[in-house]
Amino acid sequence: MDMKRSYYEDVQLFTSGVVVFWFVALLLFLGLLPFLFKNYYVYVANYMAINVIVALGLNLLVGYTGQISLGHAGFFAIGAYGTVILMTLLRCPFLLALLAAALIAALFGFFLGLPALRLEGPYLAIATLGFGLTITQVIGRSEFFGGRQGLHTPELWVGPWHLTTDRDFYYLLIPITVMLTVAARNLIKTRVGRAFIAIREADIAAATMGVNLVFYKTLAFAVSAFYAGVGGGLYAFVLRFIEPEIFTLLMSIMFLAMVIVGGIGSIMGSIVGACLLSWMDLQLRNILSIPYLGDWLETLSQSYFSITGVSNIQYIVFGLILILIMLFEPLGILGIWLRTKRYWKTWPF
Amino acid sequence: MKKKALLRAAAVVAMVCGLVWNAMAEEGVSDTEIHIGQWGPQTGPAAAWGSVARGTDAYFKMINAEGGINGRKLIHHMFDDAYNPAKTKAGVKELQEGTGMFAWVSGVGTAPGLAVRDYLMERQIPWIGPSSGSLHWIDPASKYLFPIYPLYYIEAKALVRHAVKDLGLKQVAIAYQNDDYGKNGVQGAKAELAQHGLQVVAEVPVEVKDTDMKPHVMQLRKSDADTVLLWVSPVHAVKIVGTSKAMNFTPQWMSTSTCSDFPLMMHISKGLWEGVIAATFAELPDADHPLLQKYQKDAYGKFAAKDERWGLFYYAGILFAEPLVEAIRRCGQDLTRERVVSELEGLKNFRGIGGEISYGPLDTAKAYETRQGMKEVFLVKCLKDGKAEKLSDWMAIQYP
Amino acid sequence: MLDFLQMLVSGVAVGSSYALVGLAMVIIYKTSEVPNFAQGEMALISSFFTFMLLEQCGFPYYAAFPLALLFAVLLGFFLEFTVLRRAKDPNILGMIAITIGIEMILLGLVSWKFGADPKTLPFPISPYDSIALGEVFISALEALTVGVALVIMLILFIFFRFSKLGVAMKATQQNDTAARLMGIRTNRILMFTWGVSSLVGCVAGLLISPITMQPYMMWDPLLKGFAAAVMGGMTSLPGAVLGAYLLGIIENLFGGYVSIEFKSVVAFAIIVLVLCIKPSGLFARHYVKKV
Repeated sequence: MDMKRSYYEDVQLFTSGVVVFWFVALLLFLGLLPFLFKNYYVYVANYMAINVIVALGLNLLVGYTGQISLGHAGFFAIGAYGTVILMTLLRCPFLLALLAAALIAALFGFFLGLPALRLEGPYLAIATLGFGLTITQVIGRSEFFGGRQGLHTPELWVGPWHLTTDRDFYYLLIPITVMLTVAARNLIKTRVGRAFIAIREADIAAATMGVNLVFYKTLAFAVSAFYAGVGGGLYAFVLRFIEPEIFTLLMSIMFLAMVIVGGIGSIMGSIVGACLLSWMDLQLRNILSIPYLGDWLETLSQSYFSITGVSNIQYIVFGLILILIMLFEPLGILGIWLRTKRYWKTWPF
Repeated sequence: MKKKALLRAAAVVAMVCGLVWNAMAEEGVSDTEIHIGQWGPQTGPAAAWGSVARGTDAYFKMINAEGGINGRKLIHHMFDDAYNPAKTKAGVKELQEGTGMFAWVSGVGTAPGLAVRDYLMERQIPWIGPSSGSLHWIDPASKYLFPIYPLYYIEAKALVRHAVKDLGLKQVAIAYQNDDYGKNGVQGAKAELAQHGLQVVAEVPVEVKDTDMKPHVMQLRKSDADTVLLWVSPVHAVKIVGTSKAMNFTPQWMSTSTCSDFPLMMHISKGLWEGVIAATFAELPDADHPLLQKYQKDAYGKFAAKDERWGLFYYAGILFAEPLVEAIRRCGQDLTRERVVSELEGLKNFRGIGGEISYGPLDTAKAYETRQGMKEVFLVKCLKDGKAEKLSDWMAIQYP
Repeated sequence: MLDFLQMLVSGVAVGSSYALVGLAMVIIYKTSEVPNFAQGEMALISSFFTFMLLEQCGFPYYAAFPLALLFAVLLGFFLEFTVLRRAKDPNILGMIAITIGIEMILLGLVSWKFGADPKTLPFPISPYDSIALGEVFISALEALTVGVALVIMLILFIFFRFSKLGVAMKATQQNDTAARLMGIRTNRILMFTWGVSSLVGCVAGLLISPITMQPYMMWDPLLKGFAAAVMGGMTSLPGAVLGAYLLGIIENLFGGYVSIEFKSVVAFAIIVLVLCIKPSGLFARHYVKKV
């Protein structure tokens, strides 16, 4: 690690030429991805990017501020419904509607942050979980939101462009994701981020040092909800149809798992965790078509289990991966990466 | 920038070449194979309906074993979407853009189907027989979408008509699952009651998540209903009937095709399902019906996994695929999507193992006539041993 | 008035199954501070094991139920020994992820083995026969559940208060290192905790399954049990039971008088309110963190 001489060095985006090189390489790769891969993978990339956004926001809350949330599907739903309704009812342009919906989600986040001032651990988990369940119930109740029959999204226009394919949407989504990633990273490096971390380490100590607990805890909730809201607004256009039952508790648990598996309190970790888990979520259904392994599983089911339920192996594999990562490295994939890096740094000594 | 433009040009050229190639041979069809896709939840809370896709699979294998259709074999690609629309969309795209499907058949669930409907319709890919009786499929109607499953709406009408006209019951209440399925049922029940100058005495919503049915039963009991329609999932239906029995409330129960798999219902309700009247859309599992018996022997008997059950939703998977197979057969050697669509549109009073199926050239003003395949159901009553007694013949019912 | 009484009775009846799950969660949380999300699925697999014994292997009731309880205890031991003990310097979030992982594996195993069709557990008492107290009804199975919940709570209470093992468990929770220095084998205590918790959860599962059983049946009881435990203070056994009864009664009254659609979520709204006033739940002493 280099010595830092001033705060400005700390907030610098690029600490060295190497970082600049990799950043540019990454951007290039992201820019060319739709031409390198089949359209299906562009859809997968879109799905991943949305989960990355939510995981980043959730990590600000869980990883940096030390709170817990099992209700992020609620903010996600607010973002999705807010965007669609603002667009159909008020004829808002997409980006404005997305921003407004995310701000509404942030407002809800702020309100949820208020009881969170006094709660922690399982108490906070239950409170946020209740929020997530209640929101979808309220949305489903109201005919204004399309009730339980759901809503179709309107045509997507951004400025003069009419976005119809996954590829079009990808070029809208990736800049937003990169922007939000950089924003999250900057937030962490500045005063606000240091306050978050101070609260995570010891909130009472932080308060005595002059960190305004009320402000920063609710801020963490609001920012996190904002990210989830943006993710939700974009997700509505990936599916092009939304209904309340999509935003389940399982979704919230999945978001939390992404953050934990990726690595708590790390931007890179959220990105990797979100990508890995969304990839598994979408691809594990193909597990039975893997040569040899698939056949072996079939025979196994034939003799000990049931063939009709063989697809449930997905859950077993998912659970195993989750457990193995957490058992060997509580810091998740990030921890594994750090250790590998340290190991190879001095190699072969 | 220039590089990008070049790449774009290359992409355009590639796409044009693809289109030209497409125009020559229809996607998903070769001289020996026809690729057909389907999704169905094998995992997740709706996994019980996964048997639909497995039924279709056995049906296609049976056809292939008999030599295929006009020399072509049906290649069935089914995948598990866990009833999660994001996964449905992912799987449909992967198969459509990877292998290339000629058509899609069945597909369980309203929400998963709605997530992919626009995608399929924009690409003009025929989709036959979504496994749900939602109004969404004909409102609005699309040229390439051919629903078969009779509307929940007309099931409700048929049941209420039977209750009011044949049984003389006037106090009809409904317990409905609080979603598209349940609300379609409420609409139908209300419409039919209004024709007889009656009203629903109680409407009780049941959440999918609810496990305790006592508050619901208390509301039903308070309404003094003599008939209760159960527009809920099988598990909720059993719980409601059981809780009612424990509370000494015994109206005439009526339920949908979803709960019309009597052997299963009888078993999980420990015998309480006896006497329940249900609407259904396919022949009874032990019916004296040559075609159904053939399917049981040749499709189920030879190609089903050994723990598979010959239940309603298993052979519903066959029922939803029959019109597609018939249309492909009628196409002969010249198999294109447009041809299949026009053959389907020409299908009149086609009868497989369910009610009559007819379509017509698309007319959005007459969506029900031209796009809703099956417009009739019949009523059955559950007997002591899980067998069913037919209460009516096929009843054709108009919408709206 | 009659309705009101019926709702109270129904609330207590449904509360009892929440109480059993809540108790199971509290036992683990008390000693190791892990909110165990796999609790529901542990009960699920034990219930399906019983189903297999009764329905597929033809065991009689008197053999199947004790075997099921034994299975549950061993399952608890096994999970603690093979998974949780192996966690390297665990933090609470990591533990949550691990229990979610266990939950998925167990759920996957059950659905893989038994498929998705709903089933029902054979049971000596019909779940649909009822006992009438005047015009107020309670089903025989529910009456049994209420009784079992109370008995189990009593046993656990006495166990934690008076038995040597119970005191050792308490000591482990309060200060792990000190307990070890006093000669308590804390590892074994933790394993034992998981066994007991799994046993209580299994009883809950067995009392739910006679109606219908399918792989997702334990989700709702788990959430409600967790909520009840939190309302009661997460570390207090009587608190979890009272919280569960309160939850059941509130749900039934709300469903009856206000809105049946919001019945299943009203509990959570109430909990948020309760927690705003008493952040550590109703029955736990407020724990002041030292800096």
